[in-house]
Formats: sequence, C-alpha cells, structure tokens
Amino acid sequence: MKKKGHIRSPVADTFRRKSPFGQLLKHMEKVRECIDLLGDGLIRYYKGDYKGFSDITKKVSEIEHEADLIKSNIRNHLPSTIFMPVDKGKFMTTLQEQDKILNHAENLAFMLDMRHTKIPKKLREVFIEHAKLVIKTVGAMEDSVGNIKDLVETSFVKREREQTKEFIYKVHRLEWEADRKKIEMTQGIYKLEKKLDPMDVYHLLKIADWVDDIADHAENVVDWLRAMMAR
Amino acid sequence: MDPATTTVLIIGGTGAIAFYMAWNIGSNDVANSMATAVGAKAITFKQAVIIAGVLNLVGAVFVGSHVTDTVRKGIISTSGIDNHVLLLGFIASLLAAAIWVTLSTWKEMPISTTHSVVGALIGFGLIAGGTSTVIWGKVGSVAASWVLSPVAGCILAFIVFKIIVKTIFVKDKPVAAAKIVGPIIFGFTAFLIVSSLFLKTSLSKNYGFSDIDGLSIAIVVAIIVTLIGIVLLRKIQAKSSEDYATVEGIFRKLQVGTSCYVAFAHGANDVANAIAPVASIIPLARGEGIGATIGIPYWLLALGGVGIAVGCMTWGRRVMKTVGGRITSLTNTRGFSVDFGAATTVLIASKLGMPISTSHTVVGAVIGVGLARGLEAVDLSVVRKIVVSWLLTLPIAAGTSITIFLILRGVFG
Repeated sequence: MKKKGHIRSPVADTFRRKSPFGQLLKHMEKVRECIDLLGDGLIRYYKGDYKGFSDITKKVSEIEHEADLIKSNIRNHLPSTIFMPVDKGKFMTTLQEQDKILNHAENLAFMLDMRHTKIPKKLREVFIEHAKLVIKTVGAMEDSVGNIKDLVETSFVKREREQTKEFIYKVHRLEWEADRKKIEMTQGIYKLEKKLDPMDVYHLLKIADWVDDIADHAENVVDWLRAMMAR
Repeated sequence: MDPATTTVLIIGGTGAIAFYMAWNIGSNDVANSMATAVGAKAITFKQAVIIAGVLNLVGAVFVGSHVTDTVRKGIISTSGIDNHVLLLGFIASLLAAAIWVTLSTWKEMPISTTHSVVGALIGFGLIAGGTSTVIWGKVGSVAASWVLSPVAGCILAFIVFKIIVKTIFVKDKPVAAAKIVGPIIFGFTAFLIVSSLFLKTSLSKNYGFSDIDGLSIAIVVAIIVTLIGIVLLRKIQAKSSEDYATVEGIFRKLQVGTSCYVAFAHGANDVANAIAPVASIIPLARGEGIGATIGIPYWLLALGGVGIAVGCMTWGRRVMKTVGGRITSLTNTRGFSVDFGAATTVLIASKLGMPISTSHTVVGAVIGVGLARGLEAVDLSVVRKIVVSWLLTLPIAAGTSITIFLILRGVFG
C-alpha cells in the first residue's frame, strides 16, 4: 500500500496542502526577522560599534537562505492548473520583490562587514535617521502584506481593500521621506569630499545607495500587492 | 436444489454484494461528501460517522425512491427480457460496479459509484437485448446531468458565498450581521430538507399530506429553526470590529446543520442508486417480475445504512483524516457555501430522479466558491481527472458487467 492509503478523494485533491498566502506571510516573517536584526546592527555600525556585526551578517545570510527555500517551495508547488483569487503572475512578482529585500539586505551586510567604514560625525545623525525611515518603510510594507489575511477571509471586500490601500499609501510616504533623506546624505558626503579619504567617500555613497534600495523594494512589494488586489 | 433455497441463496448473495457496495460508499463517497465539514473542523470524525449513518439512511428511505426507480427501470427496458436473464444481469451489474469502484479506490481514480452502476447496467442491457434495450434518451439525460450537476453546484455555491460576503463581510459589524443572516440561511436549509421530505414522497403518501400541507409544515419548521438559531447565537459578542474569527465560529455551528443536509442528500441519491439493482433482484428471485408497484424493502435500505456506517468506521477514518487534513485552508463560511450548494443540487436531482455523483457536485461547488474569490487556491487538475475517469467508467463498467453476465449465464443459464 502506498503512503496515501488508496483513497479516491476528488474533493481533497482540489485543495493545496499549503496555502500560497500563508507561505507568502511566512516569507514576510523572514523579512521582518532579517530587517529587525540588520536594522539594529546598522544603527550601531553607524555609531561606530562594530562588535558582533560579523555574527549579524552570518545570521542575515542564514535568514536569506531560509526565505529562499520558502520562495522556491511556493514557486515549485503552484501548478499551472491553479485557481487563485488573485493573478498568479502578480502574486509571484510580489513574492519576488519581497525576496529582493532580503537579497539586498544580505549584500549590504556583507559589504558593511568587509570594510568597517567610519561614518563622519557630521553625517552620523542623518545616516541614522535614514536607516530608521527605511526600517519604518519595511515595517509598513509588512502591515500591508499582513492585511492580506483579512482580504482573503472577506473575499476582498471594499473596507479591507481600503484598509490595505491606507497601509500602501503609508509605505509610499515613508519611502519618499527616505529618498529625501538620502539626497541629504549624499549632499553631506559631497560637502566633505575634500576632507575624506576617497575610498571612504566611495563606501559612504554605496552604503547610502544600498540601504535606500531596501526601501525601494518594499515600495515595489506594495505596488504589486495593489495590482494583485485589483485583479 | 429446491426453489426456496435458491431464492434464499440469491437474496443472501445479493445482500452480501449490496453490503460490500454500501461499505464502498461509506468508506469513500461519504468521506468525500462530508470532507468540507470535517476539513473545516465543524464536526469531529465520530459525529461525521453518526450523522452519515443515520441521515444517509433517512435520505435513502424517504427521498431516494425516485432515483432508485430511474436506475431500476429508466436505463434499460426490461420488458423484452426473460426474468431469469434479468436476475443474472442485475447481479452481474452490481458486482461489476462494486469491483470497478474498489479498483478505482485502489488506483485513486475519482470515479463515481453512480456512474459505475449506470455503466454496468448499460453493458448488461446491450448484451442481453441489443442496442434497442437501452433507453438511450434517458441515458442521455442522465449523462447530461453528470455535466450539469457540478455546474449547478458551482453556481449555487457561488451565489451562497456571495450572499455571505454581501450580507456579512461587507457590513461594518460583521458579527452582528452574521447573528441575523446565519439563522435565516439555516431556516432556509431546514425548509429545503423538510419540504423534500414531504413533497411527493412515500412519507406524504402514507400520511395523506398534500403538497400544500408539506410546504406549510416546512415553513413552520423553518421559522422555528430560525428562531432557535437566533436564540442560540444571542450571546455571541464580537471581540473587535473586524472579528472575522467569530463570524467563522458562528458558521462552524451552522455547518453542523449543513453537513446533516449533505448526508441526507447523499443518502437520497448515491445510496439509492447503488441499492437499485438489489431492489430489482429480490422480486425477480421470488419470481414476481419487475413490476412498477414494488417498493424497496426497508430491510434492504437498513442493510445499506449499516454498510455505510461500517464503511465509515473501518476505512472512512483514514479517508477523512486525509481529506480533513488536506483541506486546512477551508474556513467555515466556505465549507458552509460548498455544502449548501452541493446538497441542494443533489437533493433537487434526487427529486427529479437523476442519479448524479455527490463527490463531483461537491468539487463543482468548491470551484464556485473559488470563482467568488473565496479560496486561496483551487487545483483544477482534478477536474480533468474527473472527466477522464467518467469517460472511462462507462465502457469499463459496461465491459466488466458483460463479462460477468456471460460467465454467470454460462454457469447458471
């Protein structure tokens, strides 16, 4: 006898054993875990405290790998005959963008750990503010994605759609603020270019770019979420 | 052997095959029709067995006669065939159908007991009396109902789920809305069950109820059920403004009712049509011929009911475990919609005397809820498998039936 135990179960066969939305949320939990960890480390790094940063990098890399497994699991187990309340392609793109947050976080962590670049005192404040905005953006993105539970439960009623949209607007606003902050940072770096070592300038610009990328991808996630909802 | 002993032997043997068939239905079909309720954790396994055993029996006894008649007399014209041949033919059909169901269970093909019985009867009709024996018009309408019943289940489940969304989920206070809408839907369910019990059934004939009497009884029962529902749900309070969990909790209670409805409808259709060949064999064995007036003996239906209960308890446990465990994403509002859509379709089909497959109608209903954006993911590949399996079932059941008939005729003819 086979493991399944010889059963004709057409009804059960129409259900996926693991729901794609549950998996998406599980993937999002990994993003949350990763950004919480890296965000803390990043702010301490900006303050010149590099202790334990290598451990954080290692942990971030592990989380990224775990999330990758979830992602491929979803991708590999969505058959072509699947029938979902949202567009399957948009669902996959949302997941992909969410995964990119982790990829960027991992790259950023490795880069920071490779060379401990000292943040000039004058720029420290604005760097930390920027990091906090990016973390907030990701947090708002998590709220929007998390609301998908209510969306599916109510089969996308207007009230829940509006609520998700509110979360999405919040992400847009925060991302925009982070962008403004990043311009401020870049201006600050160029102002100090004479005083700084060129290699430091290069790295500071790179850090500004790469941290900001995380907020960009958080925005992409919610944009695709919005498209997904509208069907 | 004297004729009396032969009769006893034939009836005993047929009873054994019928019991085996009922066991098949109990272990597989019942589990499938109750899957949504078990999957949504509305009822436990034990409750499912009890509900299935009792209500399948009730459905088969009181509403199933139309379906039994169709299978018994609607598929093949028995007038030109000798009684002895008929007897062998019905035994062959029953055995062939039972074997095919067991084989498909082993191979995990989503075939239907109904389709097997009809296919087997067609096979026997062809070999015994040629193509003119089979009443093709009726066979055609039966085959059409196999396509139409999942579609009807799909549409009904879609509508029911949309009603739930529009009257409960859209509202600012979903729980308060559910406390009113839930009992009303429930009263409506009670109305359908009771009216099906009293409209043109043996029950209404025996007690002399007219259609209007039946309808008024149904309306009264529906109102009582609605009121009881309102009283029972009175104490439930929402924990927050978007407390969907409590809404699901209310529907979990309501789903106990709809799973009774499903079991009842399943009894009225699937059980009745599987028992039909047996109902033909017994009068034939007694040498009475296949008259129109012969009712199905109650002991036979009881045997069917016991067989179902035994099937449910022995193998059904594992089936339900698999089925229930696999559909964890099913919530109570969805399960309710599926059950209601499917059971109503099956019950209406039973009233029209159409032998259809409950499992396939349930699959149709699941797709209906999916179309209403109610389910996270529905795998449609099973639909293809169902179509393939029912295209296969007819010729294979017919072929097996022919083979067994020829062997039986060789031995006893």
